[in-house]
Amino acid sequence: MSSNSAANSDRWEELQATRLLFGLSADEQVENDDLARQMPADSATQFDTVVAAIDVAWADAQQPLPEQLRRAIRSRAEQEIASKKVASPQVSPVGLGSRGRSVNYAPWLVAAASVALALFTWLANRPVQRTEPTIAQLRSELMASADDLLRADWSAGTTPIEGATGDVVWSSSRQQGYMRFRGLTVNEPTREQYQLWIFDKNQSDKTPIDGGVFDVAASDEVIVPINAKLRVQEALMFAITIEKPGGVVVSSRERLPLLAKVE
Amino acid sequence: MGARSVKEPALRRWRVSREVALEIPLLPRIANGDSTAIDECLDRYGGLVWSLARRLSASPSDAEDAVQEIFIDVWRNADRFRADVAEEATFVAMLARRRLIDRVRKQQRRTLDSRPIDESTLEYAAPVQTPPMELAEDASQATACLEQLRIDERRVLELSIYHGLPQTSIAERTGLALGTVKTHARRGLSQLRDCMAAKGRRRERGGVTL
Repeated sequence: MSSNSAANSDRWEELQATRLLFGLSADEQVENDDLARQMPADSATQFDTVVAAIDVAWADAQQPLPEQLRRAIRSRAEQEIASKKVASPQVSPVGLGSRGRSVNYAPWLVAAASVALALFTWLANRPVQRTEPTIAQLRSELMASADDLLRADWSAGTTPIEGATGDVVWSSSRQQGYMRFRGLTVNEPTREQYQLWIFDKNQSDKTPIDGGVFDVAASDEVIVPINAKLRVQEALMFAITIEKPGGVVVSSRERLPLLAKVE
Repeated sequence: MGARSVKEPALRRWRVSREVALEIPLLPRIANGDSTAIDECLDRYGGLVWSLARRLSASPSDAEDAVQEIFIDVWRNADRFRADVAEEATFVAMLARRRLIDRVRKQQRRTLDSRPIDESTLEYAAPVQTPPMELAEDASQATACLEQLRIDERRVLELSIYHGLPQTSIAERTGLALGTVKTHARRGLSQLRDCMAAKGRRRERGGVTL
Protein backbone atom coordinates (compact mmCIF):
# COMPACT_ATOMS: atom_id res chain seq x y z
CA MET A 1 0.00 0.00 0.00
CA SER A 2 1.47 3.37 -0.93
CA SER A 3 1.78 6.13 1.65
CA ASN A 4 -0.81 8.08 -0.28
CA SER A 5 -3.39 5.33 -0.15
CA ALA A 6 -2.60 4.71 3.53
CA ALA A 7 -3.22 8.39 4.23
CA ASN A 8 -6.44 8.21 2.25
CA SER A 9 -7.47 5.16 4.21
CA ASP A 10 -6.84 6.90 7.54
CA ARG A 11 -8.69 9.98 6.41
CA TRP A 12 -11.55 7.84 5.13
CA GLU A 13 -11.87 6.17 8.51
CA GLU A 14 -11.74 9.53 10.25
CA LEU A 15 -14.55 10.79 8.04
CA GLN A 16 -16.64 7.70 8.77
CA ALA A 17 -16.11 8.18 12.50
CA THR A 18 -17.03 11.85 12.21
CA ARG A 19 -20.13 11.07 10.14
CA LEU A 20 -21.40 8.63 12.73
CA LEU A 21 -20.51 10.47 15.90
CA PHE A 22 -20.76 14.16 15.05
CA GLY A 23 -22.13 14.56 11.54
CA LEU A 24 -20.11 15.81 8.58
CA SER A 25 -19.73 19.47 7.67
CA ALA A 26 -20.48 20.49 4.09
CA ASP A 27 -16.77 20.41 3.20
CA GLU A 28 -16.29 17.06 4.86
CA GLN A 29 -19.28 15.69 2.99
CA VAL A 30 -17.69 16.65 -0.33
CA GLU A 31 -14.43 15.04 0.71
CA ASN A 32 -16.29 11.96 1.90
CA ASP A 33 -18.09 11.61 -1.43
CA ASP A 34 -14.79 11.91 -3.31
CA LEU A 35 -13.05 9.29 -1.21
CA ALA A 36 -16.05 6.98 -1.36
CA ARG A 37 -15.33 6.41 -5.03
CA GLN A 38 -11.87 5.09 -4.18
CA MET A 39 -12.67 2.97 -1.15
CA PRO A 40 -14.16 -0.54 -0.98
CA ALA A 41 -17.95 -0.34 -0.85
CA ASP A 42 -18.27 -2.27 2.39
CA SER A 43 -15.81 -0.02 4.21
CA ALA A 44 -18.40 2.75 4.36
CA THR A 45 -20.56 0.93 6.86
CA GLN A 46 -18.10 -1.00 9.01
CA PHE A 47 -18.11 1.61 11.76
CA ASP A 48 -21.90 1.84 11.57
CA THR A 49 -22.18 -1.71 12.80
CA VAL A 50 -19.69 -1.09 15.59
CA VAL A 51 -21.40 2.05 16.84
CA ALA A 52 -24.84 0.47 16.54
CA ALA A 53 -23.66 -2.49 18.63
CA ILE A 54 -22.43 -0.06 21.30
CA ASP A 55 -25.70 1.85 21.10
CA VAL A 56 -27.56 -1.39 21.80
CA ALA A 57 -25.21 -2.22 24.67
CA TRP A 58 -25.53 1.20 26.29
CA ALA A 59 -29.24 1.67 25.70
CA ASP A 60 -31.40 2.06 28.76
CA ALA A 61 -34.25 0.20 27.13
CA GLN A 62 -36.24 -0.29 30.33
CA GLN A 63 -38.29 2.84 29.82
CA PRO A 64 -41.04 2.04 27.32
CA LEU A 65 -42.33 4.42 24.69
CA PRO A 66 -44.90 6.91 26.03
CA GLU A 67 -48.35 5.61 25.19
CA GLN A 68 -49.45 8.53 23.01
CA LEU A 69 -46.21 8.29 21.06
CA ARG A 70 -46.68 4.59 20.57
CA ARG A 71 -50.20 5.19 19.26
CA ALA A 72 -48.94 7.77 16.79
CA ILE A 73 -46.17 5.44 15.54
CA ARG A 74 -48.60 2.57 15.25
CA SER A 75 -51.08 4.59 13.25
CA ARG A 76 -48.40 5.68 10.79
CA ALA A 77 -46.98 2.15 10.61
CA GLU A 78 -50.25 0.70 9.43
CA GLN A 79 -50.35 3.18 6.55
CA GLU A 80 -46.77 2.39 5.59
CA ILE A 81 -47.25 -1.34 5.77
CA ALA A 82 -50.56 -1.23 3.92
CA SER A 83 -48.78 0.55 1.06
CA LYS A 84 -46.26 -2.32 0.92
CA LYS A 85 -49.07 -4.81 0.46
CA VAL A 86 -50.43 -2.91 -2.52
CA ALA A 87 -47.00 -2.55 -4.06
CA SER A 88 -46.16 -6.25 -4.41
CA PRO A 89 -48.88 -8.33 -6.07
CA GLN A 90 -48.14 -12.05 -6.26
CA VAL A 91 -47.99 -13.74 -9.66
CA SER A 92 -49.12 -17.34 -9.73
CA PRO A 93 -46.82 -19.77 -11.50
CA VAL A 94 -48.00 -21.41 -14.66
CA GLY A 95 -49.18 -24.98 -14.12
CA LEU A 96 -46.68 -27.45 -15.57
CA GLY A 97 -49.08 -30.34 -15.77
CA SER A 98 -50.83 -29.02 -18.86
CA ARG A 99 -47.71 -28.81 -20.99
CA GLY A 100 -48.06 -30.69 -24.31
CA ARG A 101 -51.77 -31.26 -24.10
CA SER A 102 -53.83 -30.30 -27.09
CA VAL A 103 -56.50 -28.04 -25.65
CA ASN A 104 -58.53 -25.39 -27.46
CA TYR A 105 -58.00 -22.23 -25.40
CA ALA A 106 -59.53 -19.80 -27.88
CA PRO A 107 -62.96 -19.43 -26.23
CA TRP A 108 -61.28 -18.92 -22.87
CA LEU A 109 -58.91 -16.32 -24.29
CA VAL A 110 -61.81 -14.41 -25.85
CA ALA A 111 -63.71 -14.49 -22.58
CA ALA A 112 -60.63 -13.38 -20.64
CA ALA A 113 -60.03 -10.53 -23.08
CA SER A 114 -63.63 -9.40 -22.68
CA VAL A 115 -63.32 -9.40 -18.90
CA ALA A 116 -60.03 -7.52 -19.13
CA LEU A 117 -61.58 -4.90 -21.42
CA ALA A 118 -64.53 -4.44 -19.09
CA LEU A 119 -62.19 -4.17 -16.10
CA PHE A 120 -60.00 -1.65 -17.89
CA THR A 121 -63.03 0.46 -18.83
CA TRP A 122 -64.26 0.42 -15.23
CA LEU A 123 -60.83 1.28 -13.86
CA ALA A 124 -60.40 4.12 -16.33
CA ASN A 125 -63.72 5.68 -15.43
CA ARG A 126 -64.02 5.03 -11.72
CA PRO A 127 -63.56 7.88 -9.26
CA VAL A 128 -59.92 8.09 -8.25
CA GLN A 129 -59.40 7.36 -4.58
CA ARG A 130 -56.26 9.18 -3.54
CA THR A 131 -54.91 8.78 -0.06
CA GLU A 132 -54.25 12.26 1.29
CA PRO A 133 -51.40 12.57 3.76
CA THR A 134 -52.45 13.22 7.33
CA ILE A 135 -51.56 16.45 9.09
CA ALA A 136 -49.06 14.51 11.18
CA GLN A 137 -47.40 13.26 7.99
CA LEU A 138 -47.29 16.74 6.51
CA ARG A 139 -45.71 18.04 9.69
CA SER A 140 -43.11 15.26 9.69
CA GLU A 141 -42.30 15.91 6.05
CA LEU A 142 -41.89 19.62 6.68
CA MET A 143 -39.59 18.94 9.60
CA ALA A 144 -37.52 16.49 7.63
CA SER A 145 -37.08 18.70 4.59
CA ALA A 146 -37.17 22.39 5.62
CA ASP A 147 -33.68 23.78 6.18
CA ASP A 148 -34.95 26.94 7.87
CA LEU A 149 -37.31 25.22 10.28
CA LEU A 150 -38.03 27.08 13.50
CA ARG A 151 -39.26 25.23 16.47
CA ALA A 152 -40.45 26.35 19.87
CA ASP A 153 -42.14 24.66 22.82
CA TRP A 154 -45.34 26.09 24.20
CA SER A 155 -45.04 27.62 27.65
CA ALA A 156 -47.61 29.12 29.96
CA GLY A 157 -49.06 32.46 28.89
CA THR A 158 -50.72 35.07 31.09
CA THR A 159 -53.81 32.89 31.63
CA PRO A 160 -52.36 29.38 31.50
CA ILE A 161 -54.29 26.16 31.03
CA GLU A 162 -53.06 23.55 33.47
CA GLY A 163 -51.27 20.69 31.74
CA ALA A 164 -51.28 22.18 28.25
CA THR A 165 -48.04 21.43 26.39
CA GLY A 166 -46.78 21.03 22.87
CA ASP A 167 -44.75 22.87 20.30
CA VAL A 168 -44.87 24.83 17.09
CA VAL A 169 -42.80 24.39 13.95
CA TRP A 170 -42.57 26.96 11.17
CA SER A 171 -40.70 27.37 7.90
CA SER A 172 -40.61 30.94 6.56
CA SER A 173 -39.31 29.85 3.17
CA ARG A 174 -42.37 27.67 2.73
CA GLN A 175 -44.75 29.81 4.76
CA GLN A 176 -45.88 26.60 6.37
CA GLY A 177 -46.07 25.42 9.93
CA TYR A 178 -47.91 23.30 12.45
CA MET A 179 -48.92 23.61 16.07
CA ARG A 180 -49.03 20.57 18.29
CA PHE A 181 -50.96 20.51 21.54
CA ARG A 182 -51.57 18.11 24.37
CA GLY A 183 -53.90 18.80 27.21
CA LEU A 184 -55.40 21.93 25.70
CA THR A 185 -59.00 22.36 26.82
CA VAL A 186 -61.61 21.24 24.30
CA ASN A 187 -63.49 24.35 23.12
CA GLU A 188 -67.13 24.85 22.17
CA PRO A 189 -66.82 26.44 18.69
CA THR A 190 -70.14 28.26 18.93
CA ARG A 191 -68.98 30.03 22.10
CA GLU A 192 -65.25 30.60 21.60
CA GLN A 193 -62.30 29.59 19.48
CA TYR A 194 -58.55 29.53 19.79
CA GLN A 195 -56.59 31.98 17.66
CA LEU A 196 -52.89 31.98 16.80
CA TRP A 197 -50.81 35.15 16.61
CA ILE A 198 -47.35 35.29 15.05
CA PHE A 199 -44.96 37.97 16.24
CA ASP A 200 -42.73 38.83 13.32
CA LYS A 201 -39.45 40.72 13.31
CA ASN A 202 -40.84 43.16 10.78
CA GLN A 203 -44.16 43.66 12.50
CA SER A 204 -45.02 45.76 15.54
CA ASP A 205 -45.67 43.82 18.75
CA LYS A 206 -49.05 45.50 18.86
CA THR A 207 -50.08 44.05 15.54
CA PRO A 208 -48.92 40.46 15.33
CA ILE A 209 -49.87 38.43 12.28
CA ASP A 210 -53.14 36.55 12.53
CA GLY A 211 -52.29 32.82 12.32
CA GLY A 212 -55.89 31.67 12.03
CA VAL A 213 -58.58 30.37 14.34
CA PHE A 214 -58.93 26.75 15.28
CA ASP A 215 -60.78 24.34 17.50
CA VAL A 216 -59.56 21.62 19.82
CA ALA A 217 -61.82 18.58 19.78
CA ALA A 218 -59.72 16.26 21.94
CA SER A 219 -57.48 16.76 24.92
CA ASP A 220 -54.88 14.26 23.73
CA GLU A 221 -52.53 15.14 20.89
CA VAL A 222 -53.89 17.60 18.34
CA ILE A 223 -51.94 18.98 15.37
CA VAL A 224 -53.20 22.16 13.73
CA PRO A 225 -51.81 23.68 10.51
CA ILE A 226 -50.90 27.37 10.69
CA ASN A 227 -52.89 29.63 8.43
CA ALA A 228 -50.97 32.92 8.45
CA LYS A 229 -52.93 35.78 6.94
CA LEU A 230 -49.81 37.76 6.04
CA ARG A 231 -46.38 36.72 4.90
CA VAL A 232 -44.16 35.90 7.90
CA GLN A 233 -40.62 37.17 7.41
CA GLU A 234 -38.95 36.05 10.62
CA ALA A 235 -41.10 34.67 13.41
CA LEU A 236 -39.99 35.61 16.91
CA MET A 237 -42.87 34.34 19.01
CA PHE A 238 -46.19 32.54 18.71
CA ALA A 239 -49.14 33.17 21.02
CA ILE A 240 -52.53 31.52 21.47
CA THR A 241 -55.50 33.55 22.60
CA ILE A 242 -59.12 32.57 23.20
CA GLU A 243 -61.52 34.70 21.21
CA LYS A 244 -65.12 34.86 20.10
CA PRO A 245 -66.20 32.49 17.27
CA GLY A 246 -64.45 33.48 14.04
CA GLY A 247 -61.65 35.25 15.85
CA VAL A 248 -60.78 38.93 16.03
CA VAL A 249 -58.66 41.36 14.03
CA VAL A 250 -56.98 42.80 17.11
CA SER A 251 -56.88 40.75 20.27
CA SER A 252 -57.37 42.24 23.71
CA ARG A 253 -55.10 39.40 24.94
CA GLU A 254 -57.30 38.96 28.00
CA ARG A 255 -57.13 35.20 27.65
CA LEU A 256 -53.69 34.11 26.52
CA PRO A 257 -53.02 30.51 27.61
CA LEU A 258 -49.91 29.67 25.59
CA LEU A 259 -46.74 31.32 24.30
CA ALA A 260 -43.84 29.89 22.31
CA LYS A 261 -40.72 32.00 22.01
CA VAL A 262 -38.27 31.22 19.25
CA GLU A 263 -34.85 30.92 20.90
CA MET B 1 -14.06 -6.69 37.36
CA GLY B 2 -14.54 -10.00 39.08
CA ALA B 3 -15.87 -13.16 37.49
CA ARG B 4 -19.61 -13.29 37.13
CA SER B 5 -21.57 -16.24 38.39
CA VAL B 6 -24.25 -16.96 35.84
CA LYS B 7 -27.35 -18.07 37.65
CA GLU B 8 -29.61 -20.49 35.88
CA PRO B 9 -32.75 -18.26 35.61
CA ALA B 10 -30.73 -15.40 34.18
CA LEU B 11 -29.02 -17.74 31.77
CA ARG B 12 -32.34 -19.17 30.69
CA ARG B 13 -33.78 -15.69 30.17
CA TRP B 14 -30.74 -14.76 28.13
CA ARG B 15 -31.10 -17.85 25.99
CA VAL B 16 -34.77 -17.18 25.46
CA SER B 17 -34.19 -13.53 24.57
CA ARG B 18 -31.35 -14.46 22.25
CA GLU B 19 -33.50 -17.07 20.56
CA VAL B 20 -36.17 -14.48 20.01
CA ALA B 21 -33.68 -11.90 18.82
CA LEU B 22 -31.66 -14.17 16.60
CA GLU B 23 -34.10 -16.72 15.27
CA ILE B 24 -37.35 -14.87 14.88
CA PRO B 25 -36.61 -11.50 13.28
CA LEU B 26 -39.62 -9.27 12.87
CA LEU B 27 -38.54 -7.07 10.01
CA PRO B 28 -39.10 -9.67 7.28
CA ARG B 29 -42.71 -9.85 8.45
CA ILE B 30 -42.97 -6.08 8.32
CA ALA B 31 -41.43 -6.15 4.83
CA ASN B 32 -44.11 -8.61 3.78
CA GLY B 33 -46.87 -6.32 4.95
CA ASP B 34 -47.70 -8.19 8.15
CA SER B 35 -49.16 -5.47 10.35
CA THR B 36 -49.46 -7.87 13.28
CA ALA B 37 -45.69 -7.51 13.71
CA ILE B 38 -45.94 -3.78 14.49
CA ASP B 39 -46.72 -4.15 18.18
CA GLU B 40 -44.08 -6.83 18.62
CA CYS B 41 -41.58 -4.56 16.93
CA LEU B 42 -42.51 -1.64 19.19
CA ASP B 43 -42.30 -3.90 22.23
CA ARG B 44 -38.89 -5.18 21.20
CA TYR B 45 -37.26 -2.00 19.93
CA GLY B 46 -39.34 0.85 21.33
CA GLY B 47 -37.20 1.11 24.46
CA LEU B 48 -33.96 0.99 22.48
CA VAL B 49 -35.02 3.73 20.07
CA TRP B 50 -36.56 5.85 22.82
CA SER B 51 -33.37 5.58 24.86
CA LEU B 52 -31.22 6.69 21.92
CA ALA B 53 -33.58 9.51 21.02
CA ARG B 54 -33.66 10.90 24.57
CA ARG B 55 -29.90 10.88 24.74
CA LEU B 56 -29.30 12.51 21.40
CA SER B 57 -32.17 15.01 21.17
CA ALA B 58 -32.41 18.60 22.28
CA SER B 59 -35.83 18.42 23.95
CA PRO B 60 -38.53 15.89 24.86
CA SER B 61 -40.71 16.91 21.92
CA ASP B 62 -37.70 16.69 19.63
CA ALA B 63 -37.06 13.16 20.90
CA GLU B 64 -40.67 12.20 20.19
CA ASP B 65 -40.45 13.51 16.64
CA ALA B 66 -37.18 11.68 16.16
CA VAL B 67 -38.67 8.39 17.33
CA GLN B 68 -41.55 8.74 14.89
CA GLU B 69 -39.15 9.41 12.03
CA ILE B 70 -36.91 6.51 13.04
CA PHE B 71 -39.74 4.04 13.01
CA ILE B 72 -40.86 5.28 9.61
CA ASP B 73 -37.30 4.53 8.47
CA VAL B 74 -37.57 1.10 10.07
CA TRP B 75 -40.82 0.26 8.25
CA ARG B 76 -39.48 1.57 4.95
CA ASN B 77 -36.14 -0.21 5.21
CA ALA B 78 -37.43 -3.47 6.67
CA ASP B 79 -36.82 -5.29 3.41
CA ARG B 80 -33.13 -4.34 3.54
CA PHE B 81 -32.50 -6.16 6.78
CA ARG B 82 -30.26 -9.19 6.36
CA ALA B 83 -29.98 -11.48 9.35
CA ASP B 84 -26.68 -12.89 8.07
CA VAL B 85 -25.00 -9.46 8.20
CA ALA B 86 -26.19 -7.91 11.48
CA GLU B 87 -28.60 -8.62 14.25
CA GLU B 88 -31.95 -6.96 14.02
CA ALA B 89 -31.35 -4.75 17.07
CA THR B 90 -28.07 -3.57 15.53
CA PHE B 91 -29.85 -2.78 12.27
CA VAL B 92 -32.53 -0.77 14.07
CA ALA B 93 -29.89 1.09 16.08
CA MET B 94 -28.03 1.96 12.87
CA LEU B 95 -31.17 3.46 11.35
CA ALA B 96 -31.85 5.31 14.58
CA ARG B 97 -28.38 6.83 14.83
CA ARG B 98 -28.39 7.95 11.21
CA ARG B 99 -31.66 9.75 11.68
CA LEU B 100 -30.61 11.26 15.01
CA ILE B 101 -27.27 12.53 13.75
CA ASP B 102 -28.99 13.98 10.71
CA ARG B 103 -31.41 15.83 12.99
CA VAL B 104 -28.59 17.06 15.23
CA ARG B 105 -26.81 18.48 12.18
CA LYS B 106 -29.94 20.29 11.05
CA GLN B 107 -30.51 21.67 14.53
CA GLN B 108 -26.92 22.79 14.88
CA ARG B 109 -27.33 24.76 11.71
CA ARG B 110 -30.37 26.37 13.24
CA THR B 111 -29.40 26.85 16.87
CA LEU B 112 -25.67 26.19 17.01
CA ASP B 113 -26.28 24.59 20.34
CA SER B 114 -27.97 21.33 21.06
CA ARG B 115 -28.20 19.85 24.48
CA PRO B 116 -29.30 16.33 25.37
CA ILE B 117 -32.29 16.09 27.65
CA ASP B 118 -31.60 13.00 29.66
CA GLU B 119 -30.54 14.16 33.12
CA SER B 120 -27.98 11.43 33.51
CA THR B 121 -26.55 12.46 30.19
CA LEU B 122 -26.27 16.06 31.32
CA GLU B 123 -24.17 14.94 34.23
CA TYR B 124 -21.95 12.90 31.91
CA ALA B 125 -22.51 9.75 33.88
CA ALA B 126 -21.08 6.50 32.62
CA PRO B 127 -23.23 4.52 30.19
CA VAL B 128 -25.70 1.95 31.43
CA GLN B 129 -23.85 -1.31 31.94
CA THR B 130 -26.15 -4.12 30.94
CA PRO B 131 -24.79 -7.50 32.03
CA PRO B 132 -23.27 -9.24 29.01
CA MET B 133 -25.54 -12.22 29.53
CA GLU B 134 -28.54 -10.05 28.75
CA LEU B 135 -27.09 -8.61 25.57
CA ALA B 136 -27.34 -9.92 22.06
CA GLU B 137 -24.14 -11.13 20.43
CA ASP B 138 -23.10 -7.90 18.67
CA ALA B 139 -23.58 -5.76 21.74
CA SER B 140 -21.91 -8.27 24.03
CA GLN B 141 -18.84 -8.34 21.82
CA ALA B 142 -18.79 -4.57 21.63
CA THR B 143 -18.78 -4.16 25.41
CA ALA B 144 -16.03 -6.75 25.78
CA CYS B 145 -13.93 -4.97 23.16
CA LEU B 146 -14.54 -1.56 24.76
CA GLU B 147 -12.79 -2.83 27.86
CA GLN B 148 -9.63 -3.29 25.81
CA LEU B 149 -9.43 0.31 24.61
CA ARG B 150 -7.15 2.88 26.16
CA ILE B 151 -8.93 5.01 28.74
CA ASP B 152 -8.69 8.16 26.61
CA GLU B 153 -10.14 6.43 23.57
CA ARG B 154 -12.94 4.88 25.53
CA ARG B 155 -13.75 8.22 27.16
CA VAL B 156 -13.95 9.98 23.80
CA LEU B 157 -16.30 7.28 22.52
CA GLU B 158 -18.44 7.48 25.66
CA LEU B 159 -18.78 11.23 25.39
CA SER B 160 -19.62 11.12 21.70
CA ILE B 161 -21.71 7.95 21.39
CA TYR B 162 -23.47 7.94 24.73
CA HIS B 163 -23.64 11.63 25.58
CA GLY B 164 -23.86 12.94 22.04
CA LEU B 165 -21.31 15.70 22.69
CA PRO B 166 -19.76 17.56 19.75
CA GLN B 167 -16.02 17.39 19.19
CA THR B 168 -15.31 20.82 20.66
CA SER B 169 -17.13 19.98 23.89
CA ILE B 170 -15.22 16.72 24.20
CA ALA B 171 -11.96 18.60 23.71
CA GLU B 172 -12.94 21.12 26.39
CA ARG B 173 -14.06 18.47 28.81
CA THR B 174 -11.11 16.11 28.39
CA GLY B 175 -8.41 18.70 27.82
CA LEU B 176 -7.43 16.94 24.61
CA ALA B 177 -6.65 18.83 21.42
CA LEU B 178 -9.42 18.77 18.83
CA GLY B 179 -7.25 16.73 16.46
CA THR B 180 -6.55 14.22 19.21
CA VAL B 181 -10.26 13.82 19.85
CA LYS B 182 -10.77 12.96 16.19
CA THR B 183 -7.85 10.56 16.22
CA HIS B 184 -9.06 8.83 19.38
CA ALA B 185 -12.53 8.45 17.89
CA ARG B 186 -11.15 6.93 14.70
CA ARG B 187 -8.65 4.67 16.42
CA GLY B 188 -11.15 3.57 19.01
CA LEU B 189 -13.71 2.57 16.40
CA SER B 190 -11.07 0.93 14.26
CA GLN B 191 -9.86 -1.17 17.18
CA LEU B 192 -13.40 -2.09 18.13
CA ARG B 193 -14.10 -3.20 14.57
CA ASP B 194 -10.98 -5.37 14.49
CA CYS B 195 -11.60 -6.72 17.97
CA MET B 196 -15.19 -7.65 17.18
CA ALA B 197 -14.07 -9.37 14.00
CA ALA B 198 -11.37 -11.24 15.88
CA LYS B 199 -13.85 -12.43 18.46
CA GLY B 200 -15.17 -14.80 15.92
CA ARG B 201 -18.10 -13.00 14.48
CA ARG B 202 -20.03 -15.45 12.44
CA ARG B 203 -20.50 -12.86 9.76
CA GLU B 204 -18.01 -11.88 7.16
CA ARG B 205 -16.29 -8.54 7.32
CA GLY B 206 -18.37 -5.59 6.30
CA GLY B 207 -21.32 -3.74 7.55
CA VAL B 208 -24.92 -3.60 6.65
CA THR B 209 -25.72 -1.95 3.38
CA LEU B 210 -28.45 0.60 3.80
